[in-house]
Amino acid sequence: MKKKYALFPGCLMPTEQYAYELSIRETLPLLDVELVDVEGFSCCGEPMKSVNQLLTLYLSARNLAIAQKHHLDLFVPCAMCHLALTECQHILEKNPAMKDRINDMLVAEDLAYTEKRHIVHTVDLLHDEIGVQKIKEHVKKPLQGVKIAVHYGCHILRPRELGRPDDSENPQKIEAILKALGAEPVNYPQKLDCCGAPLLANLPESALTKTGQKLQAIQEQGIQGLVDVCPWCHKMFDSRQTKAGETVAAKLDVPVVYLTQLLGVAFGLSAEKLGLDLNLSPVEKLQLEAAK
Amino acid sequence: MSIIDLTSMGEPQSEQRKELNDRLTKLQDEISDYCFQCARCTSGCEAHKLLELEPHKIVALLKRGLINELVNADVIWTCMTCLKCRERCPQRVAPVEILFALKNIAVANGKQIPGKYTAMLQSILSIGLIQDIQQTTTRTNKTVKREELGLPPLSKPTDVAKFQAGIMKIAMEKV
Repeated sequence: MKKKYALFPGCLMPTEQYAYELSIRETLPLLDVELVDVEGFSCCGEPMKSVNQLLTLYLSARNLAIAQKHHLDLFVPCAMCHLALTECQHILEKNPAMKDRINDMLVAEDLAYTEKRHIVHTVDLLHDEIGVQKIKEHVKKPLQGVKIAVHYGCHILRPRELGRPDDSENPQKIEAILKALGAEPVNYPQKLDCCGAPLLANLPESALTKTGQKLQAIQEQGIQGLVDVCPWCHKMFDSRQTKAGETVAAKLDVPVVYLTQLLGVAFGLSAEKLGLDLNLSPVEKLQLEAAK
Repeated sequence: MSIIDLTSMGEPQSEQRKELNDRLTKLQDEISDYCFQCARCTSGCEAHKLLELEPHKIVALLKRGLINELVNADVIWTCMTCLKCRERCPQRVAPVEILFALKNIAVANGKQIPGKYTAMLQSILSIGLIQDIQQTTTRTNKTVKREELGLPPLSKPTDVAKFQAGIMKIAMEKV
């Protein structure tokens, strides 16, 4: 059965992390997921949480209300957006006074939040909704010999009480997907370490140090590469890898790919379609068939 | 509407300040009461080693009523929002949420907002997103734009005046 979702792009993916969007749009339809482009979405509000939480709540609510207007569930590929929208829905469902208050403000845009939507991220969409078995059936070129570390991203794992795509302390869903693709996920002690991105706004040097420390640990353990599922994490690990290396005085050389890019490679799609030339880290070192 | 309306404590926002204070009072009186200083939050804190954030001490200071001192301390801006403290606290105290509240109060009190937050807020007000379409480069140094990759137009608020009117209500809201 075909699954249908509004694609909630957020800010970062559609304005600079094009490889994620390209690989999502190429791979998910092959797994019978219909992605609907909806006009009018805004920032989820999460980047403003330190400034004004009510603004965060309002922005999330208006996005949920837009999806509701189109009678669509939401596919949210960004970990930060996914937490913001999930938390907002949780608050509005639990707190009728806040719901009324937000709805009073939403009138300005002729919007209203009245009913829950299903909100999925890349990880639970692939693992829970589509299923590992179905993914396996689509593999044309197994990723044999690709031994790779996984970075989940804090916001898709915590807080558990809100219902997150995977376990907060021992997430394994991406590993299961990688195995279905024929790759070998590698465990490492720094798996749950933060990418540093939330500090980019006010302490960019420290943010990059965080990134550098994790990548350096991966490199020193001789792990071939890193896979991620959030445009913020990827911006740090891939787009800013050289700069991150400078903060820890290391020459970093770790290939970093989006999970959806690996999915596409295993499905036999071309490097160009998956935006593999947009990764700034040395992905050719992974010796993926499509990237050669 | 300007950034000032949303961030400074102009008169229309006194209710909002009251709300923030109420929330902190609640945190102070109820939630942090359960904290028994086991420091499990600090042991897992992503900002601890690098930036010396000690979430259990934030909770202890809050308990002693040192709200102004906390609001004015730079250390509250070092939280990486990894949410491990909230996840792992055996007493269900959430230092990360306390830090968000403290930062919100600092902003509402007119303390200078650090870093790029103001620029992001300005961008949200004008186009609905924290940044507009960026030109990126490939590994081989070719410049690429969104439309050249065959991606559809950016989803953003279509009627910016209405969008701003909604946000204006947050700045002006009376409870």
